[in-house]
Amino acid sequence: MADYLDPTDSVAVPRKTAPRPASLEGRTITLLDISKAKGDHLLDRIEELLHERARPKAIVRKKKPTFARPAPDALRREIAGATDVLIEALAD
Amino acid sequence: MSRASAETEADAIEELYARGVTDGLPVVPPTPARVARAVAASGRRAEELVALVPPNYGRATVEKVAVNAVMAGCRPEYLPVVLAAVEAVCDDAFDLHGVSATTNSPSPLVVVNGPIRLALDINCGAGVLGSGWRANATIGRALRLVCVNVGGATPGVVSMSTLAHPGRYSYCIGEREEASPWESLAVEHGFPVGGSTVAVLAADAPLGVYDHRSRTPEDLLGTLAASLAVVSHHKATHWGDTLVVLSPEHATTLGDAGWKKADVRRWLWERLRRPVRELVPGRDGGEGLPEHVLAKFADPARDDTLIPKFRAPENLKLVVAGGTAGRFSAIVPGWTFPKGSSLVLRPIRTP
Repeated sequence: MADYLDPTDSVAVPRKTAPRPASLEGRTITLLDISKAKGDHLLDRIEELLHERARPKAIVRKKKPTFARPAPDALRREIAGATDVLIEALAD
Repeated sequence: MSRASAETEADAIEELYARGVTDGLPVVPPTPARVARAVAASGRRAEELVALVPPNYGRATVEKVAVNAVMAGCRPEYLPVVLAAVEAVCDDAFDLHGVSATTNSPSPLVVVNGPIRLALDINCGAGVLGSGWRANATIGRALRLVCVNVGGATPGVVSMSTLAHPGRYSYCIGEREEASPWESLAVEHGFPVGGSTVAVLAADAPLGVYDHRSRTPEDLLGTLAASLAVVSHHKATHWGDTLVVLSPEHATTLGDAGWKKADVRRWLWERLRRPVRELVPGRDGGEGLPEHVLAKFADPARDDTLIPKFRAPENLKLVVAGGTAGRFSAIVPGWTFPKGSSLVLRPIRTP
């Protein structure tokens, strides 16, 4: 495309997902409710299953103020600094 | 254009398709000369940063916006409008991250006010929400291309709208200020008379309201209220900014009776309140008030407390647009949950 200018932001840094742990044993797991209706139902059941099937060190529950916006920076920092695994629940 | 250069253009169009930077329609190849003309028409420096565009927070420089505007088919002199629209959607109050990523259907609707409408031939009259005007078609399209190419809102990848709507190709209107009995949308929001502005609303598709027979404000607004009542769904409450596009004939019915915008908004807002008992999930559909609201009432199924459809009268935004013949209006629902997106206005800076 030498003759045409690039409409994209070519300097944007591609993002990678975090490495996945092989096991949940001994890990701190955060369950993030995004404030959608019935998200708590889904996370309640996931928490039960995690206790049954894995041996996490801890399960922490967090909640976004609204599903319509990204998580506030403070909440993201709080989660990123204190958890090994994050499970975010969509719902409805 | 010679046959050889026409073939080169055709190849470029195919190449741009292959790069995934179109909206599904062919684009104008953004040659350095075309982009330079657009940048020059803005009176701004090519490398000036206009905004970081969510959700990828790509850098929208004047030149990057110009590339997308050229691709959309804009004339160079449209660029100041596109730049103002990009600034507006990147305001945190607009929540472009949510607008671009949600499973809902919103697309930014651009409403242009002021003398620039006439200078650029932005349609404010017959067929205002439709096709046929280069300025409307390409300004709205340019904004969409910026959201995708700079912001990263690729449909089905980051933009996960279940249905979306045709306004995602382009969604841009002018207010027909000359046919309005009231101050314009921009003046109402504190901008000076004689200035030019854009307003952006995270908007669903327009819903036409046909009322040929009403001749009083109360009759006409009764019809409009019944259609506003189904925004989102018929039991949704606490909704935010939503646009009512009144045709000149409908606006005249209201204005000739002495009603101001504030009177119209207040009447509609009051009419659109419903008692808790009608909003309980399971009555006329499974939707209804959320649990945390229901918990405030001892016996919701019998409670007469009125709950507003819209959070405040000011959330009902009125503009006048469309042809002078025809008693039609349109409701353009906002994607405006509490804590979500709001209408944002910006001045248009021309050189």
